[in-house]
Amino acid sequence: MEGIVLALFVCLLLALVTKYLSVPPIPFYIIAGVILGKSGLGIVANDEISTFFSQMGLIFLLFFMGLGLKLERVAANRSAVLTSGIIDLNINMLIGFVAAYLFGFSLIESAVIATAFYISSTAMALTSLIENRKLMLREAETVIWLMMFEDLVLIVFLAIFSAGDQNPIILFLKIAGVLAVLYALAHWGKEFLISILDRDDELPIIFTFAAVLTTASFSMFIGVPETMMVIALGAAFATTDPDAFEQHARPFKDVFLVTFFVFFGVTITFSGGVNLFMIAAISLLAVLSKLISGLITGIVIHGSALSGIEIWGNTIGRGEFSIALAALPGLSLAPAVATIIAAMVIVTSIAGSFTAKYCTNLRRGILRMGRKKPSVRHVH
Amino acid sequence: MALRSLNLPGVGTKYEFETDKGDTVAIFFTKTGSIQMYTLQKGCSTPSAAEMTLVEARRLGNILTGAIMEADQESVEIAFSALADLRVTIHTYLIPKSIEGKAIEDLQIRAKTGATVIAVCRHDRNIINPPPAFVFEAGDAALVIGESDQIKMFEREIMVA
Repeated sequence: MEGIVLALFVCLLLALVTKYLSVPPIPFYIIAGVILGKSGLGIVANDEISTFFSQMGLIFLLFFMGLGLKLERVAANRSAVLTSGIIDLNINMLIGFVAAYLFGFSLIESAVIATAFYISSTAMALTSLIENRKLMLREAETVIWLMMFEDLVLIVFLAIFSAGDQNPIILFLKIAGVLAVLYALAHWGKEFLISILDRDDELPIIFTFAAVLTTASFSMFIGVPETMMVIALGAAFATTDPDAFEQHARPFKDVFLVTFFVFFGVTITFSGGVNLFMIAAISLLAVLSKLISGLITGIVIHGSALSGIEIWGNTIGRGEFSIALAALPGLSLAPAVATIIAAMVIVTSIAGSFTAKYCTNLRRGILRMGRKKPSVRHVH
Repeated sequence: MALRSLNLPGVGTKYEFETDKGDTVAIFFTKTGSIQMYTLQKGCSTPSAAEMTLVEARRLGNILTGAIMEADQESVEIAFSALADLRVTIHTYLIPKSIEGKAIEDLQIRAKTGATVIAVCRHDRNIINPPPAFVFEAGDAALVIGESDQIKMFEREIMVA
């Protein structure tokens, strides 16, 4: 218990400092965890309470992601979302997977690393677009839809990774059943849900918390991945009043998620075959592969490689979803997987906060160089 | 001028239009609660941006809708089309030296002009619906409501007298 209090207090300070410097807080929470935990000072250890808090953090993160899913909007924008999304998925997954496999991880571990390698941080990308005042750029919309596509892909991978050795057909039927129930509830219970959300007493908050927890524990009970089901719950609730649900779930998400990041850091060990070379190689590749996918997306969607630099700059940071994958319950991964993903998140999210700020300058600089020497075509 | 609005998931709502002269203006109501306004001059590739709080954005809106705004004196005219086109003007005034130390009832503001003092701002605190015995002090700012003729009368009779 003292561990959580200490961790939360450190996070409070970190949140203050990172907000002041406008850098993403996630890497610093993890670093704080590493320093306080096993590999560092060893003053904070995981206990029952922190494990529960961390689980809640993961579940509320995914519930929030579900609330933000706008399936009908994705469907309306299908062609643009699909083109950029598929470029991003193929290139980054492939590079991530090959790199991890060459470093000697097993097939399933490489797949988890590749997914964590592929998925950019939605929170960081959107925050950087807003804070750096880039919303009007045409690339901003591409980035926003790219994040949405990545979220959708994540759901599929969560299902695959959580399936374990269950019969896939039975699992699929179970998932379909739960989904049908959730959507039926949201559809026919819409008026009831809205009437609850409209109250200004404690009921909406209790309801939101209970709904998320019930869905998670019921999913565990019948053996379907609870991570996927809370996303589905979010997506189903998003058809009623997503803003109200966000408002009521935010306090839970904010507190639990911070503990999740810190205690993820606490569990990290630097033994188990991870060395600095590996960390540097994966992190560098993580930056480079987004550059490749960004450039291709820029050329295909906006007809300009320079647009690709803008897309790249805003999508380098890996964050909450990569950590979520590394901490996925039910997967018995080597501790090295968590270490390498944590290191990659720390490096790319810090690098990403700089590229997001300065890639417009970089782009202008390249443009100027290109103008001076018109005979030479500079791509980057 | 066609106004387009778009809901960007995770970011907020975007409103964008192109002016007749070819410049583009975009407004974003972000989920963080701030409002960003971008303007892109025709032929330029990089927009310039301003971030505003809700209060600042309202202020900008007031300016754009044509309300008269000066440094210390602001006025807004509101038309209620449902109430037989009732037009009400709300105006703020800095209290001049001539009426410092006088009470609202002594000045006979309502009897003389028809306008009503509905609030007074004193040292950054607001006094809503000041009583008739309320005495103006140096540095007060008064919020006066009435029809535009009554407001003009107020300016002539009270502010100058």
